[in-house]
Amino acid sequence: MASDPFATGAASRMETLRSKIAQELANVDFVLGYGRGFDPLHATPVTVRNEKDLDRLIFDATCVQNLATSLYGLRGKRLGVVVKGCDSRSIVQLLQERLWERENLVIFGLPCEGVLDLAKLRASMDIASVKEARVEGSPRDGLLRLKLAGDGGERVRDIETRGLLADKCLRCQHPNPLVYDHLIGPEIAPQGAEDDYADLAALEKLSTQERFDFWKRQMGRCIRCYACRNACPLCVCKHVCLADSREPHWLSAEATLQEKWLFQVMHALHLAGRCTECGECQRSCPMGIPILLLKRMMNRELKELFNYQAGVNLDAVPPLHTFLMEEDRIKDRGLLW
Amino acid sequence: MVARHIKETELAAVAAAWARSYRVLAPVREGAAIVYRVFSEDMHPFLGRPPTSSAKEALLPQTENLFTYKYRKDQADLTRTEVFLSEALPPEPTLILGPRPCDARGRHLLDRVFLERGVVDPQYKAHRAATLFVSVACTSLQNTCFCHWTGGGMDDETGSDVLLHPLNGGFVAKAVTPAGEKLIAELPEATAQTLASLDERKAAAQTPDQAPEQTPDLKDIAGSFLAVFADLDFWTDQSARCLSCGVCTYLCPTCSCFNITDENQGMSGRRLRTWDTCMSALYTLEGSGHNPRGSRAHRLRNRVGHKFCYHPREFSEAATEPSGLEFSCTGCGRCIKSCPVAVDIRQIVLDVLDKAREKAAETAGAKGEEAK
Repeated sequence: MASDPFATGAASRMETLRSKIAQELANVDFVLGYGRGFDPLHATPVTVRNEKDLDRLIFDATCVQNLATSLYGLRGKRLGVVVKGCDSRSIVQLLQERLWERENLVIFGLPCEGVLDLAKLRASMDIASVKEARVEGSPRDGLLRLKLAGDGGERVRDIETRGLLADKCLRCQHPNPLVYDHLIGPEIAPQGAEDDYADLAALEKLSTQERFDFWKRQMGRCIRCYACRNACPLCVCKHVCLADSREPHWLSAEATLQEKWLFQVMHALHLAGRCTECGECQRSCPMGIPILLLKRMMNRELKELFNYQAGVNLDAVPPLHTFLMEEDRIKDRGLLW
Repeated sequence: MVARHIKETELAAVAAAWARSYRVLAPVREGAAIVYRVFSEDMHPFLGRPPTSSAKEALLPQTENLFTYKYRKDQADLTRTEVFLSEALPPEPTLILGPRPCDARGRHLLDRVFLERGVVDPQYKAHRAATLFVSVACTSLQNTCFCHWTGGGMDDETGSDVLLHPLNGGFVAKAVTPAGEKLIAELPEATAQTLASLDERKAAAQTPDQAPEQTPDLKDIAGSFLAVFADLDFWTDQSARCLSCGVCTYLCPTCSCFNITDENQGMSGRRLRTWDTCMSALYTLEGSGHNPRGSRAHRLRNRVGHKFCYHPREFSEAATEPSGLEFSCTGCGRCIKSCPVAVDIRQIVLDVLDKAREKAAETAGAKGEEAK
C-alpha cells in the first residue's frame, strides 16, 4: 500500500479513480468528488459531469469533507460519490433509513489513512500564509511540509502529521469503505486506537457547575449560522428544522445562550444512534465549538445500552428505530405481569 | 494630525482607559477562533490576525430589541385592547478595537443601505453615531484576502476613526476623524525615528499593486453577471457543494439582511431584529408556500449578484478604483476562509467573467453564421 499520497502508488490510484469514474459517467447525472480548494490545505467538493472535469479530481489528506452530506439534498438524481471509510458509514445509515436508494448511487470507495484537522494547525500558526503544502510519508506518522509566505520572504516549515490528524482518524476502525461499487486501491489495516472516550472522561471530571460554565463559554461564540446542522449528513430536516419553525415556536429568534444550547441538545438527541461521528458538525463550526462531544456522549450511551454502533452494518436496524421486548443490556425491573 | 505611539505591552492599559468611557469590544482568542468580547481588565486583546467575526456586530447586533409591547384589555369593553409600547434603550457609547481596514470599509457600505437609500434606519443611525472604530492596518495579505479587488488596501483609512499601524511590537496610532483624534490625544507622540521606520516597513512590504496579475479587471462584472444569470446549470455547478448555512453572510462585514419577529409571551412581548441569511431557503419562502429561490443555485447566485452586480448598479455614481465600480464586498475573505466546503467567491466572480465571454463569443459566432 502506497501511503504517500504524492508517491507513484497514489498517482496510479488517482488514475484508477479517474478511469472508474469515466466508465460510470454515462450512468449518472454527475459524480461528487474532491478538487483543490483555494489553497493547498483546502479541498473542495466538485461535480464531475464530463471527461474534462476528471482533471480536477484529487484525493489526499486534505480531503476532509464528507460528501455524503450533499446526497439528501440531491434526491431524485442518480449520482456517483467518492467516499472514505468514515464517509461510507453515513451512506450505510442513509440507506438503512431509506433516505436514499442504493440503485441510484454509484460509490467510489477509497481506503484512507487519515485526514488533517486544520483547526489543530490553526492553533499554532497562521494557515493563511501557506503557499505550498505536501505530506511526506503517511499522514499517520509523516511530515507536513509547508512553504510559508512572510514579511521576510518564503520559508519552509515541517510539522509532524501525527499531531494534526483529525481526532476521528486517531480512533478510526473503518479505514476501508463499508459499502462501495468500486474500491479504489488496496484495503488497509485499521490503525486507530480503540475509543476510550478520554475526551468525555476529562469533561466529566468537572463538577456540574464547571461543566455548565464550560458550555456557556463555548456556546457564547455561536452565531447560529447552522453550519453544524447543514454539514451533518444525517440531519435531513434542514430548513424544516425545529430551530427555524415559527409555528410552533420552539426557539426564539434571539441569539441567546439558551436558544443556542437548546438547538445543540436537539441536534444531539436526534442523532442518537444515527451519528457516525464523521465530525462534520464540529469541523464546519466557524467558531470552533466542540459540539461533537455531545454526540459522542449519546453514542457512548447507545453503545452501553444497545451494544450498537451506527453505520457499520447495512442490515442492522438502529435501536431507536425499533424495540425489543427484552434488551440484552437493559435489566428489567420485573414486569407487572 | 499628530501620530501617537502605543507599546504592545501597554495595549491592555490603553484599552482599559478607553473602557472607562466606552463599552470596548476587543478581539480575543478562544480556541481556533478570534471573537469580539466586551473588554474587561483580565483580557488580552489579540490584534495579530484578523478576527473570525467581522466588526458588523458593533453596528448591526445579531439581536436587537426594537421595542417592548404590552396589551391591556379594556375592562369596560373587553373587545377593545390597548397596546403600550416602550422604546429600547439607546445604544451605549461603543469602541471596537481590532477591525481591519476591510471591516472599516464595511461600515461605509452598511451606511449605503441603512442611511442613504432614502429611508434612514433610526437604530442603525444611533449605533453608527455611538460607535468608534479603532482599526489595525494589515502588514501582509492572507491567501483569502482580496481587498485590492474592491478598492480597499492594507492601510486604507475609509471608515476608521483611528488606524493603528503595527510596528516592532507596538503600534503607530493615526487619527482619521476628529473623534479619533480626541481618543488618542493623551497618548505619547510617535518619534520621528518611529515614523521613519514605519515608512521603511511600508516601502518594503509587498503591496497588491506590485502583483498586478492578481487584480483582475472587474469593470464588466455587472453586465457579465446578468449575461449568465439565467444559466442555471452554471449556478448548479457552482453551488452543488454549498451547504446553505449562514457562515458567509453572518461573518460578512457588509451583509445587512435582517428579519423582524415578535417574541410574544402572553399579553406582552418584544419586537426583535435579528440577522438573516439569504443562503437559507426560508429567507424567500412566501406565505403561499412558493419559494422564488428554491435551490442552492438560486441562493448562491443572489449573494454573488448582490455584491457584484445589483449594488454597483444601484450606486453607479460611487465609482471606485480599480474597477470603476463600488461592490458591496470589501474583500475580507471571511466567506472563503470559514466556509466548511471552501466555496471561493473570487473564483465564482472569475468564472462569471469567463462564462459571459464564452457566451458572447457563441452569440457572435451564431450571428456570423446567420449573416452568411
